[in-house]
Order: sequence, then structure tokens, then C-alpha cells
Amino acid sequence: MKPDVQSPAKPKGSVQIPGVIVQFLSQATIGMAGTRDASLVPRIRRVSGWRVEPDQETIACTIPEGYTGGLLESLRDNGEFTLTVEEIGPHETYQFKGTYVDAGPCTAPDLSAFEGLRDRFGSVVHSLYGIPEKACRAYIARPSVTVRFRVREIFVQTPGPGAGRRLVPAEEK
Amino acid sequence: MDSPLPDAIRPVMQNGVPAIIVTCSAAGVPNATIISQAYYVDAMHVALSFQFFNKTIRNVRENPRASLCLNDVEGSVNWVLDIEYERSETDGPVFDEMDMQIEAIASATGMSGIFKLRAADIYRVRSVERVPIDAST
Repeated sequence: MKPDVQSPAKPKGSVQIPGVIVQFLSQATIGMAGTRDASLVPRIRRVSGWRVEPDQETIACTIPEGYTGGLLESLRDNGEFTLTVEEIGPHETYQFKGTYVDAGPCTAPDLSAFEGLRDRFGSVVHSLYGIPEKACRAYIARPSVTVRFRVREIFVQTPGPGAGRRLVPAEEK
Repeated sequence: MDSPLPDAIRPVMQNGVPAIIVTCSAAGVPNATIISQAYYVDAMHVALSFQFFNKTIRNVRENPRASLCLNDVEGSVNWVLDIEYERSETDGPVFDEMDMQIEAIASATGMSGIFKLRAADIYRVRSVERVPIDAST
């Protein structure tokens, strides 16, 4: 695909992703994203990898072919993008809500992130669920596009009563 | 026009692999959440558990549309459902079945006592899409 650099709106602010969360993202094992169209109809986007850019405000997120229908149209329309990432096993989970920056073909670092996720997912899901590792690895599909978005909020999503608490920016007490 | 759930989806709804739901607030902000399980009610409806008054629950009461992904890892396929919140049930057979299954999942995953069912949220199925995983690497 051709790079898509059309951003519908300037980000309403962005935040620094704390180092401990950057570390978490490097070892987490499953991620999924969401967009919505002009009619507020949400759409799931499976992701095949993610990486935090050096500014620690931007995440590059790779998406396989089966989940790209209407993706760029939605992002150009409203710029809303959300990514939820979990470490399977401990259930530690965070959600990153942000604003679309651009999209384009997957780069070498994007594909490296995909391969790392495939390795981690294959190993962990095989050991926890007993599903053959080959099937687990195949489940992380090769991505066809990379979406970059700037994070403006991070939420705790680890299951339990505290799920949904905003971590960054910190909630006012 | 609404689409009925195919029979092939029923075992996927019982495979114990968490599902994913994306909702959207009235203000237009999407939210992606992992849920322990989706429940087959009938060919046109699924039920999701309401355990905490979280963003998903708030969103579907503001904007009833949602996107649900069911995961079949062994079959290398996902099912993506376009669903719409209809109502909540706090007793009856669907609620009782979900309550029992949630406790079983919580126990199996070391999270017993954390999950408590408040209601079974019933969603109408608008469309169903089978998305095979491209295994080419």
C-alpha cells in the first residue's frame, strides 16, 4: 500500500508512555485494536505486533489483511484508534487510546515486532492451553499495514474492580 | 438485515479462549476489552457478562453497537460479529448458566472471587464474518 499521511485532526495532546509500560509492551503476548466509523459503529482490528517509537509517545501497530476493511476511511474520518495489550497468564492488561498519525507498508522494525510477538504467543499459549505451538504461531497472521498513533491516555485493564482506571494522565483524586 | 449464527460458531463460543469486544462511546471514542466468554442464546442473539460497571457497559448503554471477535486458535479462524445491545437479564436460565460458567472460568484461571455476574447482557446479531487466519509467514 502507499503511505497514508493524511491526518484528520491534530492530536488533542499526547503523553509519555512510562518506561515500565514500555517494558510491559515488549513482553506482552496478545493485542487487539479498535476503530469506529462516521456513524459511531465500532470495528475490531486484530494486531500482529506493536512497537513504541523513540519519542515514547507514538506506537506503531501492525494489522493483518483480514482486518483492514474500512480501516483508513475510519482513521481519516475521525482519527480515533485504541490498542489493548495483555500478557496472557498474569492477565496484566493496558489500553492505549490515541490519535491516528499515519499508515503505510510494514517496515523491517515492524516485521521484527511481528516475529517477536509470534514467538511469544506461540510459546505461551501452547504452554497454557495445550494447543499445538505451530497452530499458535500461525494464529499471529503476517501484517499488511502499519498504523502509527499518538497515545493520549493509558488505562489499566487487568481484570478486576480496578479495571478501567486511567493510569496516564493520572486521574484526579 | 440480520444474519443468524452458523452452527460452526457454537464450539468456538465454548472453547474457553477469551473473546474481544470493541464498543464506542457517544462521544466517539472506541474501547477494546477482553472478555472471558460470549454465550450462545439463540441463532440471533449472544449474551455477554456484566460483572463490573466498566467502560464497555457504559458505552453500549450510550451507543448499542459493538464488534465482537471470537477466537478459534486451533482452527486458524476468527469470527467477527456486528452486534447490538438489546437488554439485560438478572435472572432466568441464561443468567444462571452464565453465572455457573463464569465461576468455572474464574476457578480455572486462579481468579475465583474476582468475577461476579451482575447481569446477562443480551445482544442481537446483525452480521457474522468468518475471517480465516493467513498462515503465510
